[in-house]
Amino acid sequence: MSGNVRDRLHLNAPLAVAVLTSFIRDAVETSGTSGVVVGLSGGIDSSLAAALAARALGPDRVHGFLLPYRTSSPDSEADARLVAEHLSLPHRKIDISPMIDAYFDIEADAGPARRGNKMARERMTILFDQAKKLGALVLGTSNKTEILLGYSTVFGDNASSLNPLGDLYKHQVWQLARHLELPAQVVAKRPSADLWPGQTDEGDLGFEYATADEVLWLLFDEGLSPGEVAERGYDAAVVERIVTFERQFRFKRRLMLIARLSGSAVNLDQEIPRD
Amino acid sequence: MSEPAAGSPRLTVGLAQIDCRLGDLEANLERHLAWIERAKAAGVDLLVFPELSLTGYRLLHLTTRVALPPQAPLFDRLAEAARPMTVVAGFVEESDRGLLHNSAVVLSGGPKRHIHRKLYLPTYGLFQEERFFRPGRRLDLVPLPWGRTGLLICEDLWHPELARRLAVAGARLLIVLSAGPGRIGSGDVPASHESWEMLCRTTALIDTCWVVYCNRVGWEEGSFYTGGSLVVRPGGEILERAPFLDEHLLVAEIDLRDADRVRWRLPLLADERTDIEGPNGEGLNP
Repeated sequence: MSGNVRDRLHLNAPLAVAVLTSFIRDAVETSGTSGVVVGLSGGIDSSLAAALAARALGPDRVHGFLLPYRTSSPDSEADARLVAEHLSLPHRKIDISPMIDAYFDIEADAGPARRGNKMARERMTILFDQAKKLGALVLGTSNKTEILLGYSTVFGDNASSLNPLGDLYKHQVWQLARHLELPAQVVAKRPSADLWPGQTDEGDLGFEYATADEVLWLLFDEGLSPGEVAERGYDAAVVERIVTFERQFRFKRRLMLIARLSGSAVNLDQEIPRD
Repeated sequence: MSEPAAGSPRLTVGLAQIDCRLGDLEANLERHLAWIERAKAAGVDLLVFPELSLTGYRLLHLTTRVALPPQAPLFDRLAEAARPMTVVAGFVEESDRGLLHNSAVVLSGGPKRHIHRKLYLPTYGLFQEERFFRPGRRLDLVPLPWGRTGLLICEDLWHPELARRLAVAGARLLIVLSAGPGRIGSGDVPASHESWEMLCRTTALIDTCWVVYCNRVGWEEGSFYTGGSLVVRPGGEILERAPFLDEHLLVAEIDLRDADRVRWRLPLLADERTDIEGPNGEGLNP
């Protein structure tokens, strides 16, 4: 049963790479910028985004940034460096500890979620500043599974100028990463936001990506109801949890909620394409 | 290149599978003029551009800003540049009643402008056409030098009675302008193209006519257009297919008499009956 759904999630990898590199090239060319900046975490998503950009633009136009905090896992930084070197990207490390610590010195009671969000937003401000400095765009690295589950920091890791991964389920991210022959240890490791020691995505979420991808596919690509998904053998509690996440975090996908007063409200009465 | 006499059923078609600049009439006109020169050099008699080729597709509230009446001087420039070719291009038409249509214009020599207004405006999924356009009300044959021709825009082809009516009325060539957004899956060709290829081939098979399908490429608002433009023989065999994703001038020599020859052995149109009684649905509208 689940094998069947997984088959349908499978993409023609060369075709997907051709389309996504065309997307990156088009966005950079039409914006008149020099290339992209990308935050490299050593994880699969940012590694794939960087690899696609390197193919699209040539590695010299893809600027990698390693943005660790002092408690970040050394393995993450080593993997990020490995990916940058593997792709021959110009890259640079900027330690975010001083900025983060300066703030939490005056907000000492903040828990891990606030600290993690602050780190994600600190990285975002650095990436946008570097993009300004280099005349480049910020490359997004959020995948479709994360976006639908709201598993991101709003205005943090979900902020970007263009996102080649936003319509790829996690399974498809892994598939393309293998196709592009990213370093095996990066493909094999358990996904983690690395916002505190020992954190894993699947631990935070309470279910596995493989399950989430299949359930989300059945809900959104096939149009099944949550009850119909559970009837196909998925744990009803997990389906419910996924549905709840999806509903609860919709606000993260629609930025700029503007109160409409006139007949010419931006994005409502005037839906002007950005291209 | 052979030089068919006026009234000859043989012609060279060119499909300008181009990218368009959204909302930028001047840039798109320049692009059309450049591709017209390319097509002339390739010996093309009939050059087809994609749907809304002069404006880009996903205009939303820019639609009003790029609307043109059929008498606009821009079309004189295009027609003059194209001579002696016939050119088909897509644009936002402002009618003399002030209504906006997703239209195709045929420029063939003189001042005459034949217009087809898209009849089916998709308004589902990512499509929002009924918010900005009014649907056309007429289906006509276009008198081209090589014979009467049918002209449809994108979604029109998904309602097969239109192609059927044009074929029964005498069209041996059906021109389809498209801005078909791309999707991919596990297949070797884009999933979006598989549907279009099936549709074009089926139309060429059951309506026993040539189908010339010009789809655009490029990106708008994060959505790509597939390309994969087609020339399909009467009977459904693919004569030529353009590559996916990239701009391309697809050129093919076609003989409209091929449609007659297929119809002699496969007389589907001659056998068409209009006297069959039976269920007469009102569609799915409540």
